[in-house]
This record gives sequence, C-alpha cells and structure tokens, in this order.
Amino acid sequence: MASLALRNLSRNRRRTLLSAGIVALGCALSLAVLGFVERSRALIQESTVQQFGNLQIADPKVLEGRAEGFASLLPPGDRARVEALARAERGVVGTTVQLSFSGLLAVRRTTAVVRAVGVVPQNGVLDYDRLVVEGRGLRPGDLGALLVGRTLAEELGLRVGDFVNLTATTVAGAFNVSPLEVVGVFRFSSAEVERAQVFVPLAFAQLLLATDGVERVVVRVDRLGRTWEVARGIEGKLSAGGLPLAVRTWDVLSPFYRGLSGFFDLLFGFLVAAVFVLVFFVILQILTLSFLERMRELGTIRALGTTQGEVFSLLVGEGLWLGVLGGGVGVLGGIALAALFNAAGIPWQPPGTVEAVALGVDLTPRVVGIPWGVSVLSTALSAVLPAYQATRVPPAEALRAV
Amino acid sequence: MGQGSFCYVKGTPVLEARELTKFYTLGKEKVRALDRVDFTARQGDFTVVNGPSGSGKSTLLNLLALIDRPSAGEVLFEGKPTSTLPERALAHLRREKIGLVFQTFNLIPVLSAAENVEYPLLLTRTPRAERRERVRAILAEVGLSDLARRRPDELSGGQRQRVAVARALVTQPRVVLADEPTANLDSATGKQIMELLQGLNREHCVTFVVVTHDPAVVPYAERVLTIRDGRIGGEERRGEPRPA
Ligand SMILES: Nc1ncnc2c1ncn2[C@@H]1O[C@H](COP(=O)(O)OP(=O)(O)OP(=O)(O)O)[C@@H](O)[C@H]1O
Ligand SMILES: [Mg+2]
Repeated sequence: MASLALRNLSRNRRRTLLSAGIVALGCALSLAVLGFVERSRALIQESTVQQFGNLQIADPKVLEGRAEGFASLLPPGDRARVEALARAERGVVGTTVQLSFSGLLAVRRTTAVVRAVGVVPQNGVLDYDRLVVEGRGLRPGDLGALLVGRTLAEELGLRVGDFVNLTATTVAGAFNVSPLEVVGVFRFSSAEVERAQVFVPLAFAQLLLATDGVERVVVRVDRLGRTWEVARGIEGKLSAGGLPLAVRTWDVLSPFYRGLSGFFDLLFGFLVAAVFVLVFFVILQILTLSFLERMRELGTIRALGTTQGEVFSLLVGEGLWLGVLGGGVGVLGGIALAALFNAAGIPWQPPGTVEAVALGVDLTPRVVGIPWGVSVLSTALSAVLPAYQATRVPPAEALRAV
Repeated sequence: MGQGSFCYVKGTPVLEARELTKFYTLGKEKVRALDRVDFTARQGDFTVVNGPSGSGKSTLLNLLALIDRPSAGEVLFEGKPTSTLPERALAHLRREKIGLVFQTFNLIPVLSAAENVEYPLLLTRTPRAERRERVRAILAEVGLSDLARRRPDELSGGQRQRVAVARALVTQPRVVLADEPTANLDSATGKQIMELLQGLNREHCVTFVVVTHDPAVVPYAERVLTIRDGRIGGEERRGEPRPA
C-alpha cells in the first residue's frame, strides 16, 4: 500500500515535480535562513560571553546595578575563597576580577564623566586586547595606563601617548586624583560603552579608591552549554559557605542578548509558520485536484473491498511521500545553498558583536530537522482534508464519475 | 484453482434480493430505478440479467455487489441480511467473497497486470508466497502469463478485461458480478470473454451474475432474467446452454 501511494505520485509527473519543487523550495529557503539565524545567534552568544564571561559572582546589589558607594565590595579573603570555589567546579577554565567606579576624566581644559573598569591585564579569561584598535592593550605591571573608548577619544581629541587626570572618590569618601597615560583606544559592541568607558589596571583602581577589595568575580567555562550547571554548583557552595553573594549567567547579564534572542525566536517561529502555511495551501490545492481526478479509480478500489480507512491512509500516504521526498530534496538544496554562502565569505557584523565576520550558515541538527519536519508535516496535513472528502463519496457514486 | 469442491454445494443461495427498491432523487423528481425486485443467485449459477438501457441493470448490480444501499428491501448474502451492516463490514464482505468486473475494466493504471490481480490479495492479507502462486495460476488460466508485467495502457481491451476477470477471481469469491463486461469490446473479443467466464463457471463452479443489454451474451447463460423499467420480468431456464 505504501508503494502504491508512492507509485501514484508517478501518474502526473509534471504535477508531482511541481508539488515536490514547492515543498523543496520552502524547505531549502527556510533551512538557509534558519542556519543563518543560528550562526548569528552563536556568534552573538560567543561575543556576549567574551564581554561578560560565562557568569559573574558579586553582591546581589552590584549585579542588579543598585549598589551605592563601595559598601558591597569583596574583601581579599572573600575574593580568594570565591575564586577558589569557582575554579574547583568542573568545566571552569579561569576566573578574574573587576572593580568599576565613576570618575571625572580631565584632559587639557575639557572634562568628561566616565565609567572606569579596573581589570587584571591579560588575565586569560576576558580578552581586552582583542578590542584595541589603536595603541596597545594593558600589560601586567602597568599602573598609570588607560584604554579609552573610540568615541570618547574622538570627543576629547585624545591620542595614544596623551596624559589625562582621573578624579574619583575613595572608598572612605575623599577625593583622589592621579595622572594616566593613554596606551590604547578600544572599540566595543555598544556605542554607549565606546563613548563613556575606560579600562584601567585593577591595581590602579584599588590605589585610586584606596581599597584592596574587588567588585565582582568573572568566571569562564569551557562550554557555553555548561554555564548553568556551573552556576548552580557555585550557588550551592556559596550558600553552604555562608557567603551572601549572587551568581548571574551571561544571558541574564546582557539585556541586549535577552532582547535579541527573543527576537530570533520570533523570527524563527514566524518563518517556520509562513513556510508551513504556504506549503500547506499550495499542496492542498494540488492534492484536491489530484484526488478528484481519480474519483472513479477510488470508487473501483472501494468496490474491490478497500475500506474507507485504507483509502484515507493511501491518500494521506501520498502527501507524506511528497513531503518526505520534497523535503529531502529541499534539505540537500538548503545544504548546497549554505555551502555557497559559507564559501562566498560575504563580510557581516551581527548585532552586538565587535568584529565583522564572514556571513555563514550553521547546519545543526535543528536547522536541518525543523524545515524537513515542517515540510513533511504540512504536506501530510494538506492531504488530510481532501483525502477525507474523497473517502466520504459512496463507491457506487464514485464509480460513475468520469 | 481448486474451486471444484464448491459444486458439491451447488444450489445453495449465495445472493438474494427481497423486494429490492431504489429511488434516485434528481432535483425535485424521484426516479424509481428499481421496483420491488426479488432475485436469487445460487451456487454454481450462471445468470444473465438482460434489459435495455436505463432499465435498472447497473442499479441492481450495485446493490447486489454491496457498493450501494437500497431505498427499501434487503440483500441477503449467504442467507444473512446486509442492510444493517456498517460500511466497513460491507467492504470486508466485498474483498473476501465478491468479485467484480466492470464495463470499462477499471484497472489501476500505475500497477502491472500481475499487480492489479494481486491487489485484492493484499486486502485480504494473503501471505506473499501464496499471493505469487495464485496470481501466476489465475493469469495462466485467463491466458495472460506472458503479459504479467505490462501496464494496463500496454494491453488491448480484451486483454485488460482478462486481467479484470483474473482480479475478480483471484480471491476465489462466492460470486462474481459483471456489469456489461463486453460493452467496450468488439464482438469477437466479447465472445472470447464470455467463453472465458463460461469455462470458469463450468470447470470451477464459479457463480456468475452478468447484467447486459447485449443479446450476444444471452446464449452463455443457464438462466436469463429480463429487466424492464426497474422490474424483473420473466425467467428463462436453459438446460444446457449453447453459445450462438
Ligand atoms: N445516480 C443517479 N441519479 C439519478 N438517476 C439515476 C442515477 N443512476 C441511475 N439513474 C436512473 O435510474 C434508472 C436506471 O439506471 P441504471 O444505470 O441502473 O440503468 P442501466 O440498465 O444500467 O442502463 P445502461 O444500460 O444505460 O447502463 C435510469 O432511469 C437512470 O437514469
Ligand atoms: Mg448500466
């Protein structure tokens, strides 16, 4: 019976090819777009993790952005304990710390309010050197060295080698000021950061603020997918150790990623639905016609003792085969299309990333499986209604049809 | 075919019609296509129902074949009423016990001759080896062994009707019903088909009901019924039918 359904597709070759072609086209295009979205999502994930680490550990107030003053800093003892317990988690490749503060940057006669982030130079966890477009990155041993955002440098007319003064309030509440040399200019995925942020060595930040504390511990994990498992492990250890600290993973830390991921899911869903509906209605038309044309033959097999249920499965089977074959061709076509894109190397910068990359299409099981599954499902479903209607016709009446 | 044993029970009623009536509604008009017809086909009978166009032959045959339902009256198959059976049960009766031959052959175009003949055996879930053997034997019987692999469109009308006869017989049904089996054939080919049916009836005791308006078919019958305006008229029994 399955082979009869398959053979029925050979009746009207042109029509079958047309139908299969429509299914294949829908499948191939959605595969290519899904693969592109998937690659972009992966790039953005990677970029987000490079900026934020896989997860961060700090006082909950710090992570929620409502810390006032420096009351929530981690003293050296706590910092050491947190770093040690994080490193003991399976999959953790390294940790680093940050201390950020607001300050006033003065150069010649202009001043600007900046957010300064004190970082450990070349810490092996977050790579700031990658961001540098002019000059050099921070090096171990640097003290009075500064990286400024690209826009900020332009607005203040800053060049590599220039000296600036940075003023801030110490932990105790006094003013403190220190000169620094601009050693590099960096770019960032966000214009806001490029306009208002500077990087300084952690040692400088601690000296200026007169503290030996840090604000947060940043943790890097070997695989993206392991992030949440590690986060749970660390949370357990923190509460067991009586440390009143919180853990945030990269997807929560980046509001940009959260918004984008939702948008991607919407795009993904919309595309799949659109292809589904399109294929469904086109194939519905074609199959309705094809079944009507064969009314007398359907009457014949009913007269020979084929039950309504068997005729129904036969006809839906045709739709299923059409979907399987059309979808199969579509998958091959989509993979070819993806290879074409990947080979073309069209430069493209996904939103929220720092560097332009070659436009690419990822071929994950999901990217291949969803369009194929949707093709099969929509084609089979489009056979259901005409098949049902065809089985409702009494055999004697169907036999009279011409 | 090993159906010889059926002749031991020759004479038991296989198909009976009681007061069979069928109306068709055409717009507001009611057409009485069949009017209280009584009919019995017994095991081993070769019955021809003869009548002019529009007399209700096809209507009767469809009702006897259980592919249509009467407006009134009853069809009994092997003595059991069928009007209360659900569609599914009727389909099972058809596949197992009724063979059908159509005026226009009605073969499945995408299947070869052998596959067309095999189709009813697939419905009855006959094991593969037995299917092969039965198809081979019946194709030999109708003289088509060499053309088994041909598609219907590669066969002549007479050859197609032979395939259809083989398809009707392959399940060894209790009765074979044929609606104008010669109408789409030239007279010589029609004669061959009727001789084939007659041979199957005599040698294997197959029960046949053939409806026709073709007078050339009549001489093959043991029993001839006349139908006119939906009513069965006289019955003529022929002791030893002779082809014209
Ligand atoms: N589906 C239908 N709807 C309406 N009237 C019908 C229908 N089928 C048959 N009839 C009418 O019923 C009567 C008997 O038709 P039927 O087809 O049984 O005749 P027939 O003897 O087989 O004729 P023919 O030799 O032309 O095949 C005719 O008057 C016909 O017009
Ligand atoms: Mg007729």
